[in-house]
Amino acid sequence: MKNLLIVAAFVMLASTSGNVQGQSGSDQGKSSVHSITMPVTEVTLKPGPGLDKVSSLCNICHSLEYITMQPALPRATWSAEVNKMVKVMGALINEEDAKIITEYLSAEYGTGK
Amino acid sequence: MGDPIIKFTRRDFLKTAGIVAGMATLGEIPGELLAAVDRKNLVRFPEKTDMILLTSRPPQLETPMQYFRELITPNDALFVRWHISQVPTSVDLKEWRLKVSGHTDNVLQLSMDDLKTKYEKVTMTAVIQCSGNSRSYFEPPVAGGEWQNGAMGNVTWTGARLKDILGEAGVKPGAVDVSFNGLDIPPLPSVPDLVKSLPVDKALDADILVAYEMNGQSLLMLNGFPARLIVPGWFATYWVKALSDITVLSEPFEGFWVKTAYRIPDNPCACVAPGGKVEKSIPINRMNTRSFIIDPEEGTSVKANKAVALKGIAFSGGYGIRDVLVSIDNGKTWNETQLGKNLGKYSWIQWTYSWLPKKKGKYTLMVRATDNNGESQPFDPRWNPAGYMRNIVEKVTVNVL
Repeated sequence: MKNLLIVAAFVMLASTSGNVQGQSGSDQGKSSVHSITMPVTEVTLKPGPGLDKVSSLCNICHSLEYITMQPALPRATWSAEVNKMVKVMGALINEEDAKIITEYLSAEYGTGK
Repeated sequence: MGDPIIKFTRRDFLKTAGIVAGMATLGEIPGELLAAVDRKNLVRFPEKTDMILLTSRPPQLETPMQYFRELITPNDALFVRWHISQVPTSVDLKEWRLKVSGHTDNVLQLSMDDLKTKYEKVTMTAVIQCSGNSRSYFEPPVAGGEWQNGAMGNVTWTGARLKDILGEAGVKPGAVDVSFNGLDIPPLPSVPDLVKSLPVDKALDADILVAYEMNGQSLLMLNGFPARLIVPGWFATYWVKALSDITVLSEPFEGFWVKTAYRIPDNPCACVAPGGKVEKSIPINRMNTRSFIIDPEEGTSVKANKAVALKGIAFSGGYGIRDVLVSIDNGKTWNETQLGKNLGKYSWIQWTYSWLPKKKGKYTLMVRATDNNGESQPFDPRWNPAGYMRNIVEKVTVNVL
């Protein structure tokens, strides 16, 4: 499994599936509480230098499909995205880590430009 | 209840089609996942049917195109798009209140019962469409939610008029904007909360609803339970879900999601040269005219001398559709289509055209709608850096055998 290139993996607990099946938007007659249980997901990124930083830091705010769903993007665009996450979206990532993350994304999910 | 939910254990993975195919060659694919290969990266979230997964946290789920064969999009197939990761998963209607405050005479704390009984119940069918629907077709590509064409739907909403609610609160003279906040919260205090605003004149538009029903049922949790804003004709970024706070402001709203995000070039096409930069921007607002060929699907083979039923949908930013034309010769000649039942100016309308292909070969079908305001669709793609408002004339290639 390790050397397989797993782009995206989706994990759903069987028990969770069972829970959510019974929910519908019109069940409030019985109770004033309406609840769902969100599935647990797991995304495995391509191996490469900086993967640990990306997996831990980006994952704080959003699941990693945010990376895998993107088209191949040039370095300048990845750099702008990482910059946006830090400066605009409030990610708590220091300058050094931001550089590592940009390098990783450009290398593994880039256009080579 | 539809298809049974596929049971997964912690060790089972539902992967993208490519990965499953890759594993299959290595003999590592669990048998129960073979069914998932055909479905590509379809996933099932609570209360939803099998949807195309964009992201799971926050959830972004796309509607498969087959559902657009229907005039009304089923609740469980309607797309899902949240912005910040702490989305509401449990709401107690005994506790939930919609607070209306700010530059008003009164502060309201409305319960669901208040919403349903104190205000006239209004029902309206309206297209809901993400600003970035079809972003994945932008060239050069732009970063963002990589939607195909399924971040849209046509839903019959029921709720109270925002105008009536604001009327009870009493908007004071000098009000400028009205802001809307929901129960979703940012993962970190440094992340901007999703709060949207409308200019006060727009907020008092009698067609804007605080909806508590979709297609006759309570809202689904992932579509904004217990109540959401409906701003018909405008992009869904304003349709704030799990609404909790309405605030009338005497100063312009300065929040991130209006002042910085969801902005378009300030020109009639909302576009710039591909790859270019925006010099002056405004908040995104009304939807532009769009139309789609739903049947036949891309790459379909049909037989010569046998009628082919072309079907699709068309909608605009609140003016209703005047006509829909189709071409079966890559745009050289155009044919009028028959329009279906009219559910009002905010709904999409279905169109049909019977085509009798005479000669074998490859045909490029096109569809082009014009709304009652005269606004149609461009033949060439319009580009902007955020990937918003794509409304190109859509094409489908069909082989006649």
